[in-house]
Amino acid sequence: MRFSAFMVKNVVRRRTRALLTSFGLAISVGAMVALLSVSDRFKAATLESFRGRGVDLVVIAAGTPDQLNSELDEALAERIRAIPGVQAVGAGLIELIEVQRGKNSSSVLVQGWPLDNPAFRALKILEGRTLQPGDVHKILLGRTQAENLGKKVGDTVIVQKVPFEVIGIYESFTVYENGGMVLLLHELQELSARQGSVTGFSVVCDNVANKEQLVQQVKAAIEALPNATKKRSGLSAMATQDYVDSMALLKVATAMAWIVSAVAMIIGVIGVLNTMIMSILERVREIGILRAVGWPRRRIISMVLGESVLLSFSGAVLGVFGAIVVVKVLVLLPQVNGFIDGKMSLIAIAQGIGITVLIGLIGGAYPAIRAAQLTPTEALRHE
Amino acid sequence: MNEAIPSEYLMFADSVCKRYPDGNVQALHEVSVGIRPGEFLAIMGPSGSGKSTLLNLLGALDRPDAGEVYFRGEPLSKCRNLDQFRARQIGFVFQSFFLLPTLTACENVQIPMFEGPRLTDVQRVRRAEELLELVGMSHRRHHRPMQLSIGERQRVALARALANDPPLLLADEPTGNLDSQTAADIMDLLVTLQRDREMAMVIVTHSPEIGERADRLVRLRDGRIEEDRLLRLDEPVLAGR
Ligand SMILES: Nc1ncnc2c1ncn2[C@@H]1O[C@H](COP(=O)(O)OP(=O)(O)OP(=O)(O)O)[C@@H](O)[C@H]1O
Ligand SMILES: [Mg+2]
Repeated sequence: MRFSAFMVKNVVRRRTRALLTSFGLAISVGAMVALLSVSDRFKAATLESFRGRGVDLVVIAAGTPDQLNSELDEALAERIRAIPGVQAVGAGLIELIEVQRGKNSSSVLVQGWPLDNPAFRALKILEGRTLQPGDVHKILLGRTQAENLGKKVGDTVIVQKVPFEVIGIYESFTVYENGGMVLLLHELQELSARQGSVTGFSVVCDNVANKEQLVQQVKAAIEALPNATKKRSGLSAMATQDYVDSMALLKVATAMAWIVSAVAMIIGVIGVLNTMIMSILERVREIGILRAVGWPRRRIISMVLGESVLLSFSGAVLGVFGAIVVVKVLVLLPQVNGFIDGKMSLIAIAQGIGITVLIGLIGGAYPAIRAAQLTPTEALRHE
Repeated sequence: MNEAIPSEYLMFADSVCKRYPDGNVQALHEVSVGIRPGEFLAIMGPSGSGKSTLLNLLGALDRPDAGEVYFRGEPLSKCRNLDQFRARQIGFVFQSFFLLPTLTACENVQIPMFEGPRLTDVQRVRRAEELLELVGMSHRRHHRPMQLSIGERQRVALARALANDPPLLLADEPTGNLDSQTAADIMDLLVTLQRDREMAMVIVTHSPEIGERADRLVRLRDGRIEEDRLLRLDEPVLAGR
């Protein structure tokens, strides 16, 4: 018999209790992993949407927490383009808009781009065609959104009470563009009563040997430009990674995920603590036997810690599977599947398992010390 | 080595005192007793006379308040690792067996081996099976204690005590929970093993018949030695261990 086999036997002797404890942990870990994973994947997708197009800088109004709230003068595009080292500028307006879906409606990320926005080139048209000059009330649907709404090329979607004809269906490399829609900038400005303004610009810089430095120079030049809408102070140009890191929505999501994790962790520690204390108390005599036949305190400590890590680890495995199922089910919901894909973040899984092992160690520490403190004679006399 | 302790002793308790603070009981008053290698010592005495207390001191399960216990001339109070000392030098047999309920007979026997000389998993199993064979329990090696008769449980406990081949076996009323026939069988087994393995053995007992079979009999009363009598005149085995 191995020492590990001995620990496994000690854990499974109280089958129901072990199962309940690890099930409780599984729920905690599952929630933790699902949330961390969703926020991680969403962040990755956002980053991807810029990186995939070679965007070096994202320009939004300074002081706005995220792109949706940013408001800039459309005409700034010309002035940014004039900065040396700038290769292309894509203006864009992003709105979260109610789109009619059967009798209900749901929020969809709608992007408005002028025809010269290089982003158009990155859309893979699956059906129909892309937008062209002179198109009126025409719209492109992302692949996932088209499926959600059950729309094909030639169908009509009602956006903000205005009917639009589906002219094409595209696939993008980011999940939330696949769940979104694209129309011409001026049409979206009209719909949302934001004539002349955009939420931001994506800037592609020239490909030179010393690109890092060039990007810094362009960034400085953009931030020196005045914002003509004068509602806000200035411009903020951020490298894509910085921009994604600064997005309030993502920050909130990540913070939420960690808060839930912290709560889950505390509950987990208490659960393991409770189970292991009970397990120690009903085994006082057995621990006395082990000490009498020569097991040192440190082996008793390893035994109890090992058992509690075993317990929490089985909860973690169960929880990760649960989280995978939850995320897979979530993406089946139309409200969700435009924003995340069903993939799991490996980092989130690793974090979840790591934290649970920690839970096992923390929750097992006190019972382990208690068990090790028993003297053999006392323990053997215990009834 | 203390000059006063004759080197022929495997273990020697030198004027040990033990007092239990709760209940204010002086369980042992300056008790001195020595065990030679290969000797069979029986400890008798009325209930509460301090027999188990003395055995616990000899087995390093507890420390004396005063006095010293020597093993092969070395004081146990100087021993840095009493756990390892118990694991390798002492085999314990208890009145109520104290087997681990979730483990099979074979697994129970392996428990002390984790702290004995380094063995592989396979070697541990093989050794446990040999010991079970020795106590006549091979056919029950995959049974858990609850599935064994009382006498069988004590046989398994005996195999466990021999796990690391200790030079000294300490047994506290090993037949106290057994009917007379089973008790006699277990006693025969103990005596045979003790002789064959040239192992010293201390048995605490209330049974005069068992006391008669010992090489030496120590009688305690109120925490003092009342009688220390040699029953066998033939010299105990001194050589070897
Ligand atoms: N842990 C303890 N705390 C307090 N008193 C104790 C403790 N252990 C033993 N005693 C007391 O010390 C005395 C000697 O006890 P011990 O167990 O050594 O007796 P014993 O000879 O083994 O008796 P028995 O034949 O009944 O087993 C008794 O009076 C007992 O009540
Ligand atoms: Mg006793």
